[in-house]
Amino acid sequence: MTATRRLRAAAFALAALTLALWVMDVVRQLQLGIADSGLASYGVAGVAAVVVAVAVARQPGGERMALVIAVWLCASALDDLTVDWPVSRSATTAWMLARGLAPSAYALMVLAYPSGRLRRRGERLLVAFAVVVGLVWMGAPLLFFRPGACSTCAPRVSSWLYTGTTFDYLPVGQASWSAFIALGLVFVVLLVRRLHAAPPGARVTLLPLGLAVFFAAAEFIAQRVVWLGGWQSPVAALDWIDRANALLLPLAIFVGLAAIRRRRGALGDLVVELGRAGPGQVQPALARAVGDATLELALWIPDREEFVDEAGKRIDTNAIPPGRALTAIGPPAKPLAALIHDERLLGQRTLLEAAGSAARLALENTRLQAELRAQLAELRDSRARIVEVADAERRRLERDLHDGAQQRLLALGLALQLLRERSADPELLGQAEAELQTALRELRDLARGIHPTILSEQGLGPAVRSLADRAAIPITVEAGEERYPAAIETAAYFVVAEALNNIAKHAAARSAAVTVDRRNGRLQVGISDDGCGGAVATAGGGLQGLADRVAAVGGSLTVASEPGAGTTLQVELPCGS
Amino acid sequence: MLIVDDHPSFRRLATRLLLEAGFAVVGEAADGEGAMREAERLRPDVVLLDVVLPDGSGLAVARELALLREAPRVVLISSRGRSDFGDSFAWPPGCSFLPKHELTAVSLRDALQRP
Repeated sequence: MTATRRLRAAAFALAALTLALWVMDVVRQLQLGIADSGLASYGVAGVAAVVVAVAVARQPGGERMALVIAVWLCASALDDLTVDWPVSRSATTAWMLARGLAPSAYALMVLAYPSGRLRRRGERLLVAFAVVVGLVWMGAPLLFFRPGACSTCAPRVSSWLYTGTTFDYLPVGQASWSAFIALGLVFVVLLVRRLHAAPPGARVTLLPLGLAVFFAAAEFIAQRVVWLGGWQSPVAALDWIDRANALLLPLAIFVGLAAIRRRRGALGDLVVELGRAGPGQVQPALARAVGDATLELALWIPDREEFVDEAGKRIDTNAIPPGRALTAIGPPAKPLAALIHDERLLGQRTLLEAAGSAARLALENTRLQAELRAQLAELRDSRARIVEVADAERRRLERDLHDGAQQRLLALGLALQLLRERSADPELLGQAEAELQTALRELRDLARGIHPTILSEQGLGPAVRSLADRAAIPITVEAGEERYPAAIETAAYFVVAEALNNIAKHAAARSAAVTVDRRNGRLQVGISDDGCGGAVATAGGGLQGLADRVAAVGGSLTVASEPGAGTTLQVELPCGS
Repeated sequence: MLIVDDHPSFRRLATRLLLEAGFAVVGEAADGEGAMREAERLRPDVVLLDVVLPDGSGLAVARELALLREAPRVVLISSRGRSDFGDSFAWPPGCSFLPKHELTAVSLRDALQRP
């Protein structure tokens, strides 16, 4: 049997014993005819408390708390067992000592809530003192109480410790009450301190029990004061309050545990919420889940070896302000992120760690997305750079052709003209001149294909018009004189050139139209023809090449080409401003 | 006539060709600055001016020449064709254009006779 199951079994056994005690007491009181109207409320409160103990024991991690509750229930049931029981001397001894433990069991239950353990030294000391005072308090009757002095009072059999002499144990009782009052005050102080030190979100889970205890402590002190003072009139009223108390506590524990369950539920919600969280939403979700609105999320950047916030600003983890604390998420040597939160949350490491684990997946996701975005941006930039370099290279090639070979051929043309006056063979000279003119034209076409001067010198509109002028079919051009960034003009120009080339080769069109204009801050280029349509972008094909070129400068290309309905190319390019 | 072009062999051959064709070629210049200097010194009637010069655009030189007292007639020449400049190209007023590969004594005379 595991420790957990042993604890749970003990809690169940004690709860059952308590129930049995209640039932026996009620039956006995009814038998003796001394049952008063308070009996029902006592009974209901007792049963409710037992139900709470069972419910707590069934919760994962609640076994120890359930046992502590059951101990108190049992001790208080014994304490209330005041009617005549003809039992043995050992039963009397055990019963009286158990009665003496009721106040300490109460303190233990309240201070150990909700984990079932006493975490602070002051709390342990208080419970230990309460045990001592309780034993002294009950020790006196055990030694001197004469059985049978009262016909309806227990015990009827004397204890093992009974000395046979009579003794007025009132002073012992009074001293014990005084000690209890002092301990009660310390208890209240501890409780208030605990409430104060509770992390923001955990306070709501402590408050119901705190209020119930505060009420009970006030009632306890009032009762002792009345008892010490020997006043009779308030006793009946205090009895009623006492009964109300027995009802209040189980309720408070119920409410507190419900609040804890809600907080555990918040962690469940967190997992769901983080699954959907976009950038910037992880921090608020975590803050809600742990109940600390001031929570900050620090993301670890491995390359820079530092923490940054979600906006990318550096967070100095060596300069965390007082009252704040840092909890790392992920392995300590290689943290994924860290939570910077209210220091008081450190008392709830489990909650923090659970929230951290839930956030881990989302954070890993966020980081991967950020890395992917960075890589994409890098890829986009490098593609744009490659295109830019290629464009520059084409311009240089064109200039070299123009300045070099072309100039030499032009000079050669002049030399041939000079030769014409002197030549014996004008026919051969004519042939040479014709060859030269062809070479010059081909060279001009080649240079223009590599990079058209008109584009860099006059811009897209004139360059497109000059393309249209050289086309075999009539092409209408609607284009202004506006200039765009060189890379954009080049991309647009080559799209138009390639499209007009395709129209001439494949479309069997009678006419075509080119439009160039700026809309919504984007350069829009449309090329349409009235040809046969049916154009598709195939890998390595001209259209795909155009789409790639356009995409490289951050633009997009769409093709509409229904068979028989002509082809329309629509290009959209960013234009800088 | 003044010939302005940055390619020495083209300049030399053009000078010879035009001299033989009866044009009085009085000087040569390789860039815009030299063109202005020679134009002011020699006061030619005609300047044969390359559109692209090492120190800037021949078009700017053409506009400056137009401001001279007894401004010369300017014929812009280029290794590029007419369509490379497009229809909407802003030629300086009063200038003619002749692609270099079409340059002959006859075509030059024609260009000069056009108003």
